[in-house]
Amino acid sequence: MTNATIVGLTVRNGLGSRRAVMLVVLPVVLVGLAITVRALVGVDADATEGVMVGLGITVILPLVALICSTSVLAAEVDDGSIVYLLAKPISRHTIVVSKYLVAATATALFIALPIMLAAAIMTGELRGAIGYAAGALLGSVAYSAIFLLLSVVTRHAVATGLVYVLIWEGLLGGLLSGVRWLSIGHWSNALAVSITDENTLPDAVSPAYAIIATVVVTVAAIYLAGDRLRSFRLTGDE
Amino acid sequence: MSELVLQQVSRWYRNVVAVNDVTMTIGPGVTGLLGPNGAGKSTLIAMMSGFLAPSSGTVTLDGTPVWRHEQLYRQIGLVPEREAAYDNLTGGQFVVANAELQGVADPNAAATRAIATVEMQPAQHRKIATYSKGMRQRIKMASALVHDPTVLLLDEPFNGMDPRQRLHLIDLLRRMGAEGRTVMFSSHILEEVEQVASHIEVMVAGRHAASGDFGAIRRLMTDRPNRYLIRTDDDRSLASQLIGDASCRGVILRSDDGLDVEVVDFGRFAVVLPQLAHSAGIRLLEVKPTDESLESVFAYLVSA
Amino acid sequence: MAIPPESGGRRSVIHDIGYSKYDGIRLGEGYTWRTLYELGVKHCYGLGRAAKYKVLPMLMLAIMLLPALIIVGVQVIVSLDEQVLPYSRYAVIMLFVISVFVAVQAPALISRDLRYRVLTLYLARPLRIDTYVYARLSALATGLFVLVGLPLLVLYVGSLLSGLSPGSETVDLLGALGGAAILAVMLAATATVIAATTTRRGFAIAAIITALLMSYSIVATVQGIADEQGATEVAGYAGLFSPFTLVDGIQVALFDTEASTSAGPPGALGGLVFVAFAVVIVAGCVLVSLWRYRKVAGR
Repeated sequence: MTNATIVGLTVRNGLGSRRAVMLVVLPVVLVGLAITVRALVGVDADATEGVMVGLGITVILPLVALICSTSVLAAEVDDGSIVYLLAKPISRHTIVVSKYLVAATATALFIALPIMLAAAIMTGELRGAIGYAAGALLGSVAYSAIFLLLSVVTRHAVATGLVYVLIWEGLLGGLLSGVRWLSIGHWSNALAVSITDENTLPDAVSPAYAIIATVVVTVAAIYLAGDRLRSFRLTGDE
Repeated sequence: MSELVLQQVSRWYRNVVAVNDVTMTIGPGVTGLLGPNGAGKSTLIAMMSGFLAPSSGTVTLDGTPVWRHEQLYRQIGLVPEREAAYDNLTGGQFVVANAELQGVADPNAAATRAIATVEMQPAQHRKIATYSKGMRQRIKMASALVHDPTVLLLDEPFNGMDPRQRLHLIDLLRRMGAEGRTVMFSSHILEEVEQVASHIEVMVAGRHAASGDFGAIRRLMTDRPNRYLIRTDDDRSLASQLIGDASCRGVILRSDDGLDVEVVDFGRFAVVLPQLAHSAGIRLLEVKPTDESLESVFAYLVSA
Repeated sequence: MAIPPESGGRRSVIHDIGYSKYDGIRLGEGYTWRTLYELGVKHCYGLGRAAKYKVLPMLMLAIMLLPALIIVGVQVIVSLDEQVLPYSRYAVIMLFVISVFVAVQAPALISRDLRYRVLTLYLARPLRIDTYVYARLSALATGLFVLVGLPLLVLYVGSLLSGLSPGSETVDLLGALGGAAILAVMLAATATVIAATTTRRGFAIAAIITALLMSYSIVATVQGIADEQGATEVAGYAGLFSPFTLVDGIQVALFDTEASTSAGPPGALGGLVFVAFAVVIVAGCVLVSLWRYRKVAGR
């Protein structure tokens, strides 16, 4: 279902030096903060939640996923070089899955690992590290798929993704409890909490639901993206 | 042998009709798609290459619709108008990647052949970012040829090429056509089309205005008088003879020798001219049609 | 025998066939600046562009106004006789929304021109590149000022309606509007510098939002910790490193408002440091933008 050449091309082109700077800054900040907080406050559940959830999962995770996912596709769509991938007898789903692999892997690398490190620092125990890492991985998988779909569907993927994170995950997620069934951030958090066994999220969805929902959303988003790519229209300039 | 068939194809965006009820068949050989800017050439090529769906009508390659059929790209080579943007790959790497994506048996060998065909061997190890426009065009061509397609679609391929590269591309296209491939390119520059295409399709304002060999098209335009340049050893005498015949509408004595004749009845003129010349004892040195160029055909079509 | 050039040769001449030159008033650079500025402000809200470019800025504006309207509603209905929320705190609370707005609109103003290489067209007019940069900067700042200031006006009207003392409300409002202006300028300057480094709009958006959110997160966390440790000076000075907290500190120093962060700038010296730092940042960003554009235009 994947094409090695596409993966190779995507990796080569997707990561410029400037994008890499952004992608490095975000996890460095997270880990730096974790170290600072731990040094000053010691192991503290509130502080941990603030940094890991409030910052790591709610803000940094979607941002990193957004940057990675839009950089594997949006630029090629924008300047038309995607025609070289599309004018080939390759199933569109293969193209999408190949690019998704790169995006999700990059996201996991740039955020799941640092989150694991930060959690280890802040909670001082393996369980916490694994819990938050699992949550972050779940979020990476789902967010990458959603943002990849956005990149196929619209030319303003970054702005749309930002608004989605701000309004749906941020604002409404904080205000309305019903949103938690449909919020990727919440699912990540729920999984993390269930593994670390902290009681910071009283009405969390069950981890099973979180995982199933993630799989459903990811598969649906990838399938839709592939389908839309079949109807890709190469107009002139905008 | 591959045939692209467009059957009553139209394409509109809201209330702008870009392509209006076009029916044409593109067969083996080189076909030029000619038309002023905005005539719908790019839209037509986008539909033929499967990157745009017709709002009505069908576009088929050997019977299979091109839209949403990725497997057809095995037979189609596309050279798009926009510039290649894989800037940090070398030319060679780019062509090899295209070969791999096409599923060619031996990508490296195919790439080498394609690069040799477009004569880009010396530059193939440099990054595409360092290429000139003409070089980019050629590497794009290599990437389109690497899988030996039976159909080759080129959107404004001569854009930005210097004369030497133009000649080279003309030669290449002729060869492709002679090999039996179906080659279709679009242009708004008449001289290019004239030199390469054996068959032209003319688009004007979204409509299919004319099709065929431009000489034949010209002859079909019977409502316009043909013009001929005739050189003789006694111009004035022949002029007075010709104006007396019904097939001619006007005769002008050129200042630098010769006659410009406007002919309304081509068939009659062809018979009458040698008769008149012979009976008047005038020797014909040159008889040349002066407006069978593509330019004049085009001008007539556009202004119609 | 030499032949004089006039006779025998043909002279070149341009005949006057009534083609008139334009001899009237030419509007100078000031007019160009003004037009560019007005257009920039309109583009901040998508006015004068297709409908899809209005969605995000108008949505952000609506979200900015929503809490203010709710507060006013509550104030009027319940007849509270004191401020629910100090004016100066509003920007800090809504910083996410403001950040998204500037992250998306700054590239629309800046990166677009760079991408389509139209700077040479602008410069073919009586317009120096410096003037162009100032026009863009001030347009973006104005757009931001409207975004931050409008909700404050709504709050003000609500306070007056519910009978709070006009004198003190007006003073508070003016202070907060001053802060809003400073925030607008600061965000415009930093966003312009970031957006000017790239022609890709998506990249610029990501970079700006990263910079703004990360700086705020760092500052908030450091302040939280320092607070718990009782290190109020550290908490105070940490506010330098995010535009929102920096402006809040300036408001405390200049207009004597309540601090919206855990600690305001420590003492009079702190206030001075805050103001000086802000000036340096804005000046620095403007200079870097000018330098960058001069380089681009010089090509």
